[in-house]
Amino acid sequence: MNQDAKETADYGPLLDAWMKSLGDFWGAISKMSPADTYGMPEEEHAKKEDVHQSSAAQTMRLWSTYLSLLKEPPVMQAMLQGSAVIPALMMRLAQSGWEGYFDMQRQWTQKMAQTGQRTEAYQFENLDENMFRTMREMYEKEVSPFLKVPQLGLTRFYQERANHAVDKFHKFQAAVTEFCRVLYLPMEKTTKVMQQNIEEMTKAGNLPENPQEYYRMWIKVLEGHYMTLFKSPEYAEALRTTLDKLEDFLIERQKVLEDMLQTLPVPTHREMDGLYREIHTLKKEVKGLKKKRT
Amino acid sequence: MDRPKIPIDAILKHLTEDAEKVQERAQKASSVLLGELDTSIATTPYDVVYEEDRVKLKHYRSSTPVEDGVNTPLLVVYALINRETMLDLQPGRSVVDSFLKSGVDLYMVDWGYPTRRERFLTIDDHVNGYMDNIVDFVLKRTNRRNLNLMGICMGGSFSVMYSALHPEKVKNLITTVCPTNFNTEQGLLHVWMKNINPDRMIDAFGNMPGDLMNFGFLLLNPARLMIDKYVGFVENIDKKDFVENFIRMEKWIFDSPDVPGETFRQFVIDCYQKNLLIESRMELGGKLVDLKKVTMPLLNIYGQYDHLVPPEAANLLTSRVGSNDTEDVCLDTGHIGIYVSSKTQKEFVPKIVKWLKARDGNGDGDGPSEGEKNIANKKGSGIKSTPKKRKKVKNGDTI
Repeated sequence: MNQDAKETADYGPLLDAWMKSLGDFWGAISKMSPADTYGMPEEEHAKKEDVHQSSAAQTMRLWSTYLSLLKEPPVMQAMLQGSAVIPALMMRLAQSGWEGYFDMQRQWTQKMAQTGQRTEAYQFENLDENMFRTMREMYEKEVSPFLKVPQLGLTRFYQERANHAVDKFHKFQAAVTEFCRVLYLPMEKTTKVMQQNIEEMTKAGNLPENPQEYYRMWIKVLEGHYMTLFKSPEYAEALRTTLDKLEDFLIERQKVLEDMLQTLPVPTHREMDGLYREIHTLKKEVKGLKKKRT
Repeated sequence: MDRPKIPIDAILKHLTEDAEKVQERAQKASSVLLGELDTSIATTPYDVVYEEDRVKLKHYRSSTPVEDGVNTPLLVVYALINRETMLDLQPGRSVVDSFLKSGVDLYMVDWGYPTRRERFLTIDDHVNGYMDNIVDFVLKRTNRRNLNLMGICMGGSFSVMYSALHPEKVKNLITTVCPTNFNTEQGLLHVWMKNINPDRMIDAFGNMPGDLMNFGFLLLNPARLMIDKYVGFVENIDKKDFVENFIRMEKWIFDSPDVPGETFRQFVIDCYQKNLLIESRMELGGKLVDLKKVTMPLLNIYGQYDHLVPPEAANLLTSRVGSNDTEDVCLDTGHIGIYVSSKTQKEFVPKIVKWLKARDGNGDGDGPSEGEKNIANKKGSGIKSTPKKRKKVKNGDTI
């Protein structure tokens, strides 16, 4: 005997008791006179009473059949498996969420401990993107699919567009965060260079006395780092991705706005653009004709 | 063992002095910032003499008549990015004012602020539409057959296109910080523009937002443009003149109209990504923009330290046009410095005026001037030269 059968047997008495209490309750209810229920004279409902009671008895029989079917081991097994999906799903979500969080926390701690040590001046190749990749993958695998679930019914297109806009917004946010992090890198690397410079100047005994000298040194190094960063393919990629994601979001948001504007007496961008295009073509033709005449 | 020498006492002394200065500066700054400040820009009087859609034509009023001026009117075409007010930023540093004082009859295109209804306007609409209508208007108004045309940055590119398509209407062409060769990795803008997808951008935005472009320009040098610039402001916040001029520049920089979507799309694809203009392969309204048809005298001015239009993006033009009378001038400054720095103010306008006077003709545009005759005699005398470190002059003239 397998494990499933054992689980089914364990749940049997519990289900029996539940079915019996349900049967007793609805049986008693069905035998109640409608006159008792609604406070109406009994004779006026004599005929209807039979109809009610026979209908209720039929429902009860159906219900009993359904409940007895539920008791069958294969049905019970399928039902239990189905109900087990939700906790498993929740566990999976929580697990991956916590894993991502711990990984992020570990990386942050590591990053803080290594500030000024790990970074190489004027080098922007092979950037450590684990944290952002983890977050992005977590979103792509665990959240994004829910927003892409096919929608049903009359409002399916509206719901689908709204979900897409939310999805694109999150992806844009992720891209912006990563872009900001890339923009922050020169600051980190400049701190490292400044630490080295000050250390060397301290050893050589020629530390500047004027604090403004430190600022001038810092801004010059920072400018150099930014210039190096901006020429790197990593920056170009981050910039391109951020712009792409922003454009994706704006296009999807526009669709949702157009859906919302449908109910209001306000023209949408799409409608106005169509009009503008026609006006532009007409104006051009008129101007051309006018020029030819003169 | 040698102990590292750290002048803690000296550093602390400086910090204390600085703190005292900051306190004193803050008190003065308060009176400066709360007092009356003159931060107005574009104050030289003008009349709007022509209007079409959002586009206006300004004609500047000359306060004093100049005997030895330039007869042929000068039409200045600014870029679609930022505003033409940069040429008239502040008293004493106004290109407009300098032209007027030199006796130039000055017209300037104000492209206005495009709204979404302008998103379908192409480069053809700007060059063969608005620009051509404006040129016709000025020619009719001044009873001339041609005029002097000066283009700035993107407006320079438009002016080159216009001159190639309507050479008979342009007497002399001046291009300043004008990008024509986009096949360069010198400027970051050229690198980034090759990586963007203008089709998606315009589908998403309609017009190219001015604020987004400005953000991109700030990112070209964030250390200087987003940090050091404002540190400098705080350091000089107690000086009224400095604050006024700083605010004027801020007003100009962040006054950024959107760029019509289709124009932006075409400029990025045809110029930045395909480099069609310099190769005479660009088409406007079904007509080929052949640079060999740019046969009028050409003065090409650019900045040695221009980070938006680096020398490599500007200096190829003179070798590709059909004109025999060309001159490259490389000034020791950047993209904006050409027009606003006090040093170049002394060089920029005088050079242009001198060059124009030498090619001004008899005043009605019918025949060549003495200067033109002289230049025609010099043809083939090797007036084109390679750029020098500070100044590049092709006809032996120095500025």
